[in-house]
Amino acid sequence: MSLIQAILLGFVGIIAVIDSRLIGRQNIGRPLILSTLSGLVLGDLQMGVLLGASLELISMGFVSIGAAGPPNMQLGSIIATTFAIVSGASTETALTIAIPVAILGEFMSILMRMVIAQFSHVADKAIEENNYKKARNIHIYWAFILNSFLYFILIFLSVYLGNDMVANIVEIIPESITKGLTVAGNLLCALGFAMLLVTMLSKKTFLYFLFGFLVVAYSQLDLIGLTLFAIILAFIIDKLSYGKKEIN
Amino acid sequence: MNTDETITEDYQNCITKKDLHGIFFRSMTIMCSWNYERQMHMGFMFAMSPIVDKLYKDEEEKKQAYRRHMEFFNCTPQTTSFIMGLVASMEEQNAKSNGEFNTDSISMIKTSLMGPLAGIGDSFFQGTLRIITFGIGLSFAQQGSVIGPILAVVLFTIPSVLTLYYGTFLGYKSGNKYLTKLYKEGLMERVMQFASIVGLAVVGGMVASMVDIVTPLEFTSGGTNLILQDMLDSIFPKLLPFISVLGVYWLIKKNVSTNVLLFGIIIVGLILSFIGIL
Repeated sequence: MSLIQAILLGFVGIIAVIDSRLIGRQNIGRPLILSTLSGLVLGDLQMGVLLGASLELISMGFVSIGAAGPPNMQLGSIIATTFAIVSGASTETALTIAIPVAILGEFMSILMRMVIAQFSHVADKAIEENNYKKARNIHIYWAFILNSFLYFILIFLSVYLGNDMVANIVEIIPESITKGLTVAGNLLCALGFAMLLVTMLSKKTFLYFLFGFLVVAYSQLDLIGLTLFAIILAFIIDKLSYGKKEIN
Repeated sequence: MNTDETITEDYQNCITKKDLHGIFFRSMTIMCSWNYERQMHMGFMFAMSPIVDKLYKDEEEKKQAYRRHMEFFNCTPQTTSFIMGLVASMEEQNAKSNGEFNTDSISMIKTSLMGPLAGIGDSFFQGTLRIITFGIGLSFAQQGSVIGPILAVVLFTIPSVLTLYYGTFLGYKSGNKYLTKLYKEGLMERVMQFASIVGLAVVGGMVASMVDIVTPLEFTSGGTNLILQDMLDSIFPKLLPFISVLGVYWLIKKNVSTNVLLFGIIIVGLILSFIGIL
């Protein structure tokens, strides 16, 4: 592993950041593409594509929707592909490297989202002081640079310092901590939805929230199905409250 | 766009095609500062800021518009530009109306559209289009062909970017065309009620499907093992997510600061996990 290759792999990580942060998630940051690019950097394109296909298959269901964060397969796929190609390991070995790295990567993402929540307070303050440019810069520069820097450093250090190091770090963290952080992350989703409700909910409208919740809780209906039911409910309530005036 | 020229005659600070192109490009950065507290809110502010700067010459009005767009926002990136186009047309009408426009309706439109559009956008783009395009790409990649990843990206990106681009204009046009009419005929109230019913129902559904809080507690009584979560599921499924969200909601209503909540929740989560309740 040359220094230049390690740096280039760090840049592959930044491509993943650009995909989700700057161009509206066009899925360039999926394992299929990142592993291919890592293979290209390491001079074994075909192996990169093959590893990418395996990693993509197991992570097809990992999509970050809303606040729920799946394992960070961006870091997982770049690092696992690198170790597999450099050490000549099998695809299965690559997968066993990818998953702990991905879970570790997700903790980093959780911490980052908390740090950026602090940024938004700085932006609030800047707006109160009529410093709109600063508020914009926090969004487009601070957040992007923080994310890129973290991805770059993590990838660079782990591929440059090697396989053992990563495995050791993953082993050092006790299972109770990783479990606890997962629970905390899930509870934080509750905070996100609670904040959303503060802007929408009132005593009068609580029933509609309850309606959506109960339908999904009891029937596991997906969100499109629920939306259609809610539209029908909205039509009925609209008819009940305004229907008579319409006839006149 | 014909509407641009008609507006230009009676109002010089109007939104042009160039401004809408700006929204389109800026909307792609919506996730740049995604965070746990208000999610995509700074991205929304960033995308609206050129229009806000252009429309509002009065400092106080301008500041209020910025505050308005720092509120919680979360949607699918691909469907966000539609909301931004619509909001741009509302901001424009507000700027022209000399205070007659109810600015609360801007926030209401945002919050009521983001739920349904996130539901539709996530299911379509991440749930359907991605599975199809990456499925096609995978079949090539498994043979070791580099066409696989290229095909996956190209097939996904074209419809995705087109939706973003036309969504901006569609949002702006529909806002421009219908909103004035809605206000004059007093229909806005109806639209708001409609949107808030659908929006809240979908948020309720999201709480049930996306907040993943379960308890591993078990009791042994009379030789039988009672798993608490199974009991909860049969009586009131998703009770824990429901209680958690409403509990945090209540705390926010009690003016507990979000920072205290943020760190408090992490600590509570770790403790509850260590003692085996969650």
